[in-house]
Amino acid sequence: MTIPQARLRNFSIIAHIDHGKSTLADRLLELTHAIDPRQMTSQVLDSMDLEREKGITIKARAVRLEHTANDGLVYGLNLIDTPGHVDFAYEVSHSLQACEGAILVVDAAQGIEAQTLANVHLALREGLTIIPVLNKIDLPSAQPDVVMDELENALAIPREEVLLVSAKEGTGVPALLQAIVDRIPPPKGDPKAPLQALVFDSHYDQYKGVVVYIRLAAGTLHDHDRVRLMASGAEAELIEMGYFRPALVPVPLLTAGEVGYVATGLKNVREAQVGDTITSADAPAGAPLPGYQEAKSLVFAGIYPVSGEDYPLLRDAIEKLHLNDASFTFEPESSVALGFGFRCGFLGLLHMEIVQERLEREFSLDLIASAPSVEYEVLRINGGAPIRVDNPSKLPSIGEIEEIREPWVQLSVVTPSSYIGALMELSTNRRGSFVGLEYLDPTRVLMKFELPLAELIVDYYDQLKTRTAGYASMDYEEIGYRAANLVRLDVLVAGEPVDALSMIVHRDNATKLGRTLVGRLRQLIPRQMFEVPIQAAIGSNVIARETVRAMSKNVLAKCYGGDITRKRKLLEKQKEGKRRMKRVGSVEIPQEAFLAMLRTDES
Amino acid sequence: MSLPPDGEAAPTGDLGWGAVAPVGLYLHIPFCVSHCPYCDFVVVAGREARGPANRIASFVRALEQELDLRADALDRHWGPPGTAARPLLDTVYLGGGTPSLLPTNSIARLLALVRSRFGVADGAEVTLEVNPGADERGDAGAIRAAGVTRLSIGAQSLDPKELRTLGRRHSPDDVAETVRAARASGLASVSLDLLYDIPGATLESWAATLDTALALVPDHLSLYALTLDDPDAEGITGPGGDHLPVSAGARRWRDQARRGQDDDRAAAMYELADRRLAAAGFAWYEISNWARPGHRSRHNLAYWEGRAWEAAGPGAHAFDGRTRRWNAARLDGYIAALTPSDGSAPRLPPGLQEPVTASGREAESAILALRTSMGLPPSALDRPALGPTLTWALEAGLLEPTRDDRLVLTLAGRLLSNEVFVRLV
Repeated sequence: MTIPQARLRNFSIIAHIDHGKSTLADRLLELTHAIDPRQMTSQVLDSMDLEREKGITIKARAVRLEHTANDGLVYGLNLIDTPGHVDFAYEVSHSLQACEGAILVVDAAQGIEAQTLANVHLALREGLTIIPVLNKIDLPSAQPDVVMDELENALAIPREEVLLVSAKEGTGVPALLQAIVDRIPPPKGDPKAPLQALVFDSHYDQYKGVVVYIRLAAGTLHDHDRVRLMASGAEAELIEMGYFRPALVPVPLLTAGEVGYVATGLKNVREAQVGDTITSADAPAGAPLPGYQEAKSLVFAGIYPVSGEDYPLLRDAIEKLHLNDASFTFEPESSVALGFGFRCGFLGLLHMEIVQERLEREFSLDLIASAPSVEYEVLRINGGAPIRVDNPSKLPSIGEIEEIREPWVQLSVVTPSSYIGALMELSTNRRGSFVGLEYLDPTRVLMKFELPLAELIVDYYDQLKTRTAGYASMDYEEIGYRAANLVRLDVLVAGEPVDALSMIVHRDNATKLGRTLVGRLRQLIPRQMFEVPIQAAIGSNVIARETVRAMSKNVLAKCYGGDITRKRKLLEKQKEGKRRMKRVGSVEIPQEAFLAMLRTDES
Repeated sequence: MSLPPDGEAAPTGDLGWGAVAPVGLYLHIPFCVSHCPYCDFVVVAGREARGPANRIASFVRALEQELDLRADALDRHWGPPGTAARPLLDTVYLGGGTPSLLPTNSIARLLALVRSRFGVADGAEVTLEVNPGADERGDAGAIRAAGVTRLSIGAQSLDPKELRTLGRRHSPDDVAETVRAARASGLASVSLDLLYDIPGATLESWAATLDTALALVPDHLSLYALTLDDPDAEGITGPGGDHLPVSAGARRWRDQARRGQDDDRAAAMYELADRRLAAAGFAWYEISNWARPGHRSRHNLAYWEGRAWEAAGPGAHAFDGRTRRWNAARLDGYIAALTPSDGSAPRLPPGLQEPVTASGREAESAILALRTSMGLPPSALDRPALGPTLTWALEAGLLEPTRDDRLVLTLAGRLLSNEVFVRLV
């Protein structure tokens, strides 16, 4: 059904993890009959297994609802889902740019969280109308008054605007639908102007080719129009277009203000990148829409197959996954310790974890990731532009370095005030500095710190949760590079550096960390035919040393009773173990040793 | 590679007969009074071994059946014993388990059967393994009268505390008494088995055990590093497997005991033993074996020299020069096949076999030869499958040429022999 522009509403839901966004979306779908209740699975929009398991949204999704409002007219409501985790702020901003309004969902028992704040600020920056919702008011622990105070204090949201909802029980959801109609303005855009449609997501379908999710800013799209992607220059004839309900439902026409999809038949997602503008091939628009900033990788790590022969499988898997998630980067690299793999850049640690897990699950691979690193800026003594280093083993030698700069972030933490001291200590131990503190209500505060990103990605989040019994939440944004007294800590086995174990660390922490590393590695390297020194070094300066003593005994003592078959099999097993060992110089190290080094969190 | 149980595929045992007739015979007697937690050998203990419900008599009947079936097959293939194609046996070995738990008349009957069906050469070596406990070591005089010439005594340690750690029932005095009785009976050769790297042992306690053992003046010593394997993980304890599953208690004991082991201490113990034994007139002739002149175990040497031997009993291994064959470990299946309760004809027990390939044979015989003081001839250096590893071992000091121009493992080479062998398999 074609609905006039004045009766369209495009909106997102922004919420902290677990505050009930997906349940609320399910309820909206049910009430507007977008989904047959009998087919209702919980968290319809989170279709990836991983999303359902982790209770988070990774990819943006969109769905079109049709709702008969109090005035008796049918309104088209386009719900554009957003990821809730800080790593995916980039995806959130895409979704928000396709909307005129946002429902802010806050758990009535938990109160607002750091990411809620960040996302609301993002929405306000885009000029969106906010509809504040307190969810889970059915909970005995709900404190709507306290949380409304928080909204008022932290975000200047008046109490009278706040809707009280229980998505679980459906309470307040009809009122919310009416508020969407009443408060969110309809989209603007001239349906007769040249076509401009912003690509805000895409996926690959093996029958329809690249399916692009668009928001029409201006103009009208007809079935079988020929379109051009303004940035990539690719042209295609539309195979199909339509709405998400949430299944793809074809329609013959999409006009300015609408949100929908077009199937292009294009085979390569790179030809229809998120942020590109679709226009008509015959009557193109004069200029593309502003588009998006490119996703910026903040965390880097090498991803390797546990068994080297899986490298070609990993290469295929990474390329395929990248079609679906263009926000990570990858390039081939090789490591003495780990063999052939890829250096990948991620939006954050959770993103890294998700990419690794999707590669392992969706492609049945067994993978190992090197320790995550940030991207450093290195100024060299002989001048020239600063170089960027995302792999510690690529850092120039000490003698060539004038200065190393590292990325810093501003960290916002929302926490019960009883943990202020614990978080102060945690953050200052991580080279952070305290910026300020404000009370959201009498018991909860918003704290701000500045912190090197490298310190954040080690295990800051885990520590934050541990030290606050899980109550604190955090969000961060980049605030640029700062010079620091950083060095590369190398680990040497029998004099040979083990590239996968090099890391860039603050000089003050180097000795302690070096001792820990060589101590652990000594436990993991099996005794060889000769003594093996294990050293931690900064340049040529050894700061820690341990020794793996020479092997004294490897003998099958008892070889009688004629059971020679068993002995031979034991030898064959040893041989297979040897074959799988990695060689660092003349030292044979089982892959498991590297895995153990990389899998254990150091702190 | 595994083939179907030959008990089903070839009831007469004709399958896979190869190059040569056996010169030795191994009989596995699985009974023990109690099961030591470190032991992987096929053992049944407790009420199956002693008391009114024991299964010794029905086992012996089954074993006699198997000996008959095996001898029938040899007769068919090689003719009666005592010819160039079918030599008389040079060695017979009753291992276990605790063969000395068999009534002496059973031992005598078994050996008589062996003599009549396989033929035993004059001067043959006939070994019986015994445990030293007063109620399990048997009567040395009667054992000798049955035809046994050599006693292998499972002493394991001569330190009372270590014996308790190992779950052994006997005392150091029992060992001494067993040796004394053997000597008194006139048995020609007496060997002691000892274990090193026992949890809680020290270099001093080991030296004391060695001194005590040497004071008993044995003819032969086997010194084994206590090795705590996991046969379940090796996949050899299934229904057709030649090992029995490890009990939960033994598994716990091993997990605990491994923490009390130490490679450096074990190596030091081995080196100490090699010195002391040499000084006492014992020459090492295999990684774990030392003997006074004329007292090497000919039966065990046959294994290492790649000779053919026949075998009977649950879990027993045989080799005919071409194929390695073994019986499954389970006593029930063994007895059921050989003495069917429905009166049908006896069948060979379930088991598996594995042909030795030409390349496997070359590596295997090199490894077995290198275990011994015979070592390999220098011409082995020219063999493509062996040369590079032997050269490496010579350079690494693990192997050395002897004055009579053979390549033999050094003391360090014996301790690190797997490093050499693993490069040969």
